[in-house]
Amino acid sequence: MSVNISVEAPIENQIQEITYDGTEIYQPPLTLSESLAKYAQKIDFSKTELEIKKEELNEDSKSDTDSKEAFQSSLWPWDSVRNKLRNALQEVCVLADVLAIAKDKRYLVLDPVQQETLETKPMVQIYARKKALAGAASVLLAGSEKMKNSQTEAARSRTTLDFHIELLRLRQNWRLKKVSNTIIGDLSYRTTGSKYLQTGTFEVTKAEDEEKTNSPPSSPLPGSTASAKPTSALRVSIPSELQGVAYIEVLCQKDQEDLCTANLTLLGSGAPPTNPDMHWQQKLEAAQNVLFCKELFNQLAKEAVQLQAPVPHMVVGNQIMATVLPGIQLIIALRHSTSSDKKQQNPPPSKSDHDHVLEHSLHQLLREVHHKNTHHPFPHPATGPLGPSKKRMLAGPMAADRYELLEMTKTQTLLEQIVQQAQHFIMRMRTEYVLDTIAKEVKDPLITSHWNTLNSPTQSCVKIHISTHGYDAVCRTPLIIHVGEKSLKCICRDGKVMNMSYEPQELRDLIFCHINQHQILAVQALAKTMGWQALGNSNHLGTGTVEPLGNASSCLLSSPTGDRIIAVRCEPSTDTQVSVAHSPRQDFFPSRLVTERKWEHLGGQFRDVRLDKMEGRNFLHKMELLMASLTSSS
Amino acid sequence: MSISRSLPQSKEALLKSYRTRLKDDVKSMLENFEEIVKLSKGEHDTQLSRMTQCEQDTYEMHVRAANIVRAGESLMKLVSDIKQYLILNDFPSVNEAITHNSKVFRSKQAECDQKLMSLRDDMAADLYDLEEEYYSSIYK
Repeated sequence: MSVNISVEAPIENQIQEITYDGTEIYQPPLTLSESLAKYAQKIDFSKTELEIKKEELNEDSKSDTDSKEAFQSSLWPWDSVRNKLRNALQEVCVLADVLAIAKDKRYLVLDPVQQETLETKPMVQIYARKKALAGAASVLLAGSEKMKNSQTEAARSRTTLDFHIELLRLRQNWRLKKVSNTIIGDLSYRTTGSKYLQTGTFEVTKAEDEEKTNSPPSSPLPGSTASAKPTSALRVSIPSELQGVAYIEVLCQKDQEDLCTANLTLLGSGAPPTNPDMHWQQKLEAAQNVLFCKELFNQLAKEAVQLQAPVPHMVVGNQIMATVLPGIQLIIALRHSTSSDKKQQNPPPSKSDHDHVLEHSLHQLLREVHHKNTHHPFPHPATGPLGPSKKRMLAGPMAADRYELLEMTKTQTLLEQIVQQAQHFIMRMRTEYVLDTIAKEVKDPLITSHWNTLNSPTQSCVKIHISTHGYDAVCRTPLIIHVGEKSLKCICRDGKVMNMSYEPQELRDLIFCHINQHQILAVQALAKTMGWQALGNSNHLGTGTVEPLGNASSCLLSSPTGDRIIAVRCEPSTDTQVSVAHSPRQDFFPSRLVTERKWEHLGGQFRDVRLDKMEGRNFLHKMELLMASLTSSS
Repeated sequence: MSISRSLPQSKEALLKSYRTRLKDDVKSMLENFEEIVKLSKGEHDTQLSRMTQCEQDTYEMHVRAANIVRAGESLMKLVSDIKQYLILNDFPSVNEAITHNSKVFRSKQAECDQKLMSLRDDMAADLYDLEEEYYSSIYK
């Protein structure tokens, strides 16, 4: 209760000024009239003022003086209010005047105004909306029609396959992936173990519509569906270096003269090289073949440079030259034709007698390398290096020595292998030639050769029978010749093994020696069946003239009663000689030395038989007749 | 869940983008249609004059109809894209195709081998006879 509370009224008046000593000087409060004027000024007459102004404009001449007056007395605070009131009065006066005039109905008649605008507007609007909706509907219909057309066209015309079906087919056969907006495919042999650096990427695109539309006019006939069929919805674009057709040509050349040629294209040479309308499958296969041939040639060229051959290999441009046997070269060339013009030139050099074997084995060799790159022998450690062969992994447990390990590291390069195969090929051809010419030259003992069907690329085997026609059962001489890479191995009748070099003359001589031996043996065997006795034989006769090759062989036969003796001598270079001796002599004349007839049993002079004058188909037949005649006469 | 987790992030993003595209297109179709219907009601007060309003409505309707068509075509494109994606990334079916192909080729190879073998046997037998005949004949 005793506390004093000071109460200060809020400032009612605005502060006009604050002096430096802090005293506030207030504005004096407005007087009643002033505040009324202030509030009156705040009244918004804007709405009515617009109409007023319009009327003022209408009655321009009349208000001319008023506006001038108002302009002048605008400083007066009640001016706006007065103006407005005045305008209102004026309006009311005018209205009253109009009403008064209208009341008379002499100068002015008031008619009800038809509200036409209100009625017409909805109809116009409805029409406009209808039109707008129709337009929208037509846009929608056109769009749907377009979509439907594209659908039905794809469904109806089976000639152009759907892009996605084609893509699916492509995906099933080739590796594809999507890189941003393009579909990239891969046709290299990477996944199968190739380590060739060149990439084999191709791009898959949709065939353009314009080309599609162009193709139907080209085949207007409904019957020619075959021409319309290849138009695929898919297009593959292949890098330029893989376009065209490539193949590897293998030639065996003997001093500029071809021994054999072999060209092989995987597609066959008949395929048109760069036809833009070719189906993508064929196109891709051709490109893949090009890539493969390039890799093969690249590999071979690398090896040819690296290998230390006695006669160095030559690599010139797209051609590798390797010496197979003295005087015989193996030429491996990469032929790649990109344009159709080049293709026309190629067939003439390729010979008609194609031998695809060497070419094929080249392809096979590279594929084997690929296979080895991916297929490592199991089991291999998960963390260990890949590559060592199974043999080498076993080397530790088996305690292999240095020599064995060194043997394991030796691997044959492709070029070495193909050279070996070429060598074998030539050896085989030479052997065939020698055998055939001998068979042609020598008529009497028949020389029959049978080639073994089971052989490897570097080894084959031929069996030779020497026999006489009609006396096969009596005697036949078998020979087996193994044809290797650079040598021949002959296994003779008696189990002897003869090794020969690549010179065909050696084989020829051997066969001639065996022919002679055969004749002597056959005569002895025949004599046995005739009841004659073989007195002796020698395969290597030391007597007589010196033979240019081998030795003459001979045998001596005596008749069952022992009174006749036949001597046969065979020489490889000349014909066989047959001589006959009688014992005892037919005519006996006692002399000083031989006094008794019994000594004549020792045998007489040998007299030559002229075989060429004798009857008989062949040597053995003649001998049989001779023996028969000699036996009967005794 | 495990399948979606095993997918790489970019693939998942792509699939998500396909889904959003689908939803966006369908939504755009619906919205545009609704707008057209709304416009045809025509109960909106405006300060424009009637004719201008009508023209604007017409134009808007056309644009909206075109939008619907565009959305439809975009859906077609989406279908095509999804097809392409499926073809390119459907590894199980590709593997199936590969195994099928390899099976076909293997059987073909076996068939060829068998035929070649029988051919070789026949030829070997015939060759033997022919060789026999040739070398014992006088025509060499």
